[in-house]
Amino acid sequence: MNLLPTPEQIEITDSSAAFVADKVSIERTRELFEQGVLPAIADAAWAAAAELGWFALGLPEECNGVGCGLADEALLFRQIGRGLVPGPFLSTVLGARTAAFGGEQDLADEIVSGRRVGLVIPDSLDAIGADGSIVGAVQLVDADLDGMVLTVTADVAALVEVASLVDVNEVPCLDHTARLYRATGTGAAPVASVAASEDPIELRGHVLVAAMLTGITEWARDTGAEHAANRIQFDKPIGVNQAIKHPCADMAVQAQLSYSQMLFGALAVDEGRPDVVFQALTAHVTAVAAADFATATTLQIMGGMGFTHEHDVHLYVKRMELLSHTFGAPGLWLARLLELPEPS
Amino acid sequence: MDLRFSPEDNAFREEVRTWLAANVPTDRRPKRGPEMREYDLAWQRKLYDAGWGNVAWPIEYGGRDLPLIQQLVWFEEYARTGMRPIDTRFVGLAHAGPTLMARATDEQKSFHLPKILKGEVVWCQGFSEPEAGSDLASLRTKAVVDGDQLVVTGQKIWTSFADNADYQELLVRTNPDVPKHKGITWVICDMALPGIEIRPIRTIEGGADFSEVFYDEVRIPIENVVGGIDNGWSVAMSTLAFERGTAFTISQVQLAASVEELIELARSRRSLNGRPVIEDDSLAQRLARARADCAALRALTYLGISKNVDSDQPGPEGSMMKLHYADLAKRVYKLGIEILGSRSLAIPHVEDDTEWIDKHLIAYSTSIGGGTSEIQRNIIGERVLGLPR
Ligand SMILES: Cc1cc2nc3c(=O)[nH]c(=O)nc-3n(C[C@H](O)[C@H](O)[C@H](O)COP(=O)(O)OP(=O)(O)OC[C@H]3O[C@@H](n4cnc5c(N)ncnc54)[C@H](O)[C@@H]3O)c2cc1C
Repeated sequence: MNLLPTPEQIEITDSSAAFVADKVSIERTRELFEQGVLPAIADAAWAAAAELGWFALGLPEECNGVGCGLADEALLFRQIGRGLVPGPFLSTVLGARTAAFGGEQDLADEIVSGRRVGLVIPDSLDAIGADGSIVGAVQLVDADLDGMVLTVTADVAALVEVASLVDVNEVPCLDHTARLYRATGTGAAPVASVAASEDPIELRGHVLVAAMLTGITEWARDTGAEHAANRIQFDKPIGVNQAIKHPCADMAVQAQLSYSQMLFGALAVDEGRPDVVFQALTAHVTAVAAADFATATTLQIMGGMGFTHEHDVHLYVKRMELLSHTFGAPGLWLARLLELPEPS
Repeated sequence: MDLRFSPEDNAFREEVRTWLAANVPTDRRPKRGPEMREYDLAWQRKLYDAGWGNVAWPIEYGGRDLPLIQQLVWFEEYARTGMRPIDTRFVGLAHAGPTLMARATDEQKSFHLPKILKGEVVWCQGFSEPEAGSDLASLRTKAVVDGDQLVVTGQKIWTSFADNADYQELLVRTNPDVPKHKGITWVICDMALPGIEIRPIRTIEGGADFSEVFYDEVRIPIENVVGGIDNGWSVAMSTLAFERGTAFTISQVQLAASVEELIELARSRRSLNGRPVIEDDSLAQRLARARADCAALRALTYLGISKNVDSDQPGPEGSMMKLHYADLAKRVYKLGIEILGSRSLAIPHVEDDTEWIDKHLIAYSTSIGGGTSEIQRNIIGERVLGLPR
């Protein structure tokens, strides 16, 4: 048992953080969405990420991937969350896996080299069929109209052509960095699909979302604490007051819990533990609660600045909301958690 | 990164599990008095005889000095037996003992450490006073040097197991004229000395584990001072480096086990409306949350232990674990009495129900004893996040 990162994992963290700062900084993201470019990531940056192998990291070598574990992938996604990186990283990585495990290796190769896959967020659970097809009203995040979107349920993951959907309408998204469509499915057969029993794509998704949320919580903790230490009121830093200091301490605890459980969930998937469903869902539940608390806390610590469009905190609040509605909702996960056998 | 234990560690787990299953006491622990003391010490003697006297102590002091990961395995298995994380053995094994190892003379060590390990003595901790709680360094119990004796007059409070203890790690003020951290002395006090009066304090759940202790010109041999006169603050702090987070595993594992029992209880009991309690959505959600939170607490414990394997100084995870545990334990045990509902009012009738009520009431102490949650938040804010004092 050891939860410390290996030198290779530290390298993943450092190089991805450097890439984020250099190529997809929040200033750049802001420029792009102000200009109406959505998702707010430059094609060149997206291509550079593909070039670096980001979409192939966790794919097995026999599927032309790098063959790293989910824990490695999660460390990368933690930096994506922390840096508020826009773009459909989650659905593209899981989409490549769905294609590869669903027998469409050529498609997997295309996705890995940079073809974007959008994410489906259904209006209700029965909007996704048993085979992963779309049969009801859904929302599409960061989809390309001539491309594919990913559906994920507890039973199946599937790739569906956007062209097979009807009533596709773009609507503004709460997360300013994302492109959102509303659409209705026609039940068209998926291009590729993978049963959860073959590969737990849903669980990988929960862990990767938890990783992004952990990055958000860590950003909020550091941003809140820095302001608390530097902002002077009544001739003292506001952080001397326990009404500020103690929520900062609580953010530190929440961030550490979120990070630890996200690693536990990732390793549970990598090692095929018997309680893997429990651990992965718990990672998501824990990370949502932590990020919700931390973003709200830091917004408050910022004072009036926290309520503005200028400060970055609102972007994190909104991203957190998007990730809290990815692959279900907290109430559903909690109900499942209670049904599962005792964790091992 | 790896969640798996090595084959050697798994074999070790088997060994521990087998030994514990065959040897753990099967009779109920008496709740107070000399019977309780004898129960705890008999258990310690049994552990010692089998080589399990203390898995964390160095071999030169008769301990097992297990690698951190095997300590973790030991405590996980120990927790599963349901034995309490803290009993009358606690201060000797986890606090006074390690302090002596770090700072006492060879004579002091060779006299006291074997007695602690072999289950011959009970120690207690005389730190807190009526006017010195969170601000421990402001303690006032006075000690005056008189020849080769320290003459102690004053009062301690909240001293756990004082009425069953043979020795006390006692903090006294030997110099009132210097800054408060500087005039404190750490001394071994024999609880049988004349001039000591112990008055048990009744606690919230009806127990009397802690006491007030009064000292009226108690004469303690000066050779009982550890670490030198006026040097007691640094002696009191030296145990911190010994605490590597593994013993905390017992509390964490037992809390998770309690949640599982509460889920069962919620399935078997009925609400006022006649339906199984588990069908109350709000309660079900909180039970599920508690299950998830216990899992995350284990992950946090594992991370803290992983870090400590590689470093000499334990990280801030200690304060984080304690703070989160206190918050979670209070939430979990409150669920217990919510599930019992109005039946929780009739205390004496059902033995098992009484346990849930006790656990709920005792949980209130988790955010007070050993440094309050507010103080933990100060520590995390200042030492982890670097916020100004
Ligand atoms: C079950 C139990 C067993 C114990 N066993 C022992 C023992 O064996 N030996 C021993 O010496 N002591 C023992 N204690 C005492 C324990 O260490 C103290 O109760 C604790 O340190 C708090 O001190 P206090 O009770 O004086 O409260 P106070 O320090 O007076 O605190 C009262 C309240 O004020 C808050 N507060 C105080 N200072 C601050 C601050 N700077 N910022 C914010 N809030 C603050 C506290 O958090 C608390 O909520 C035990 C306590 C309990 C509950």
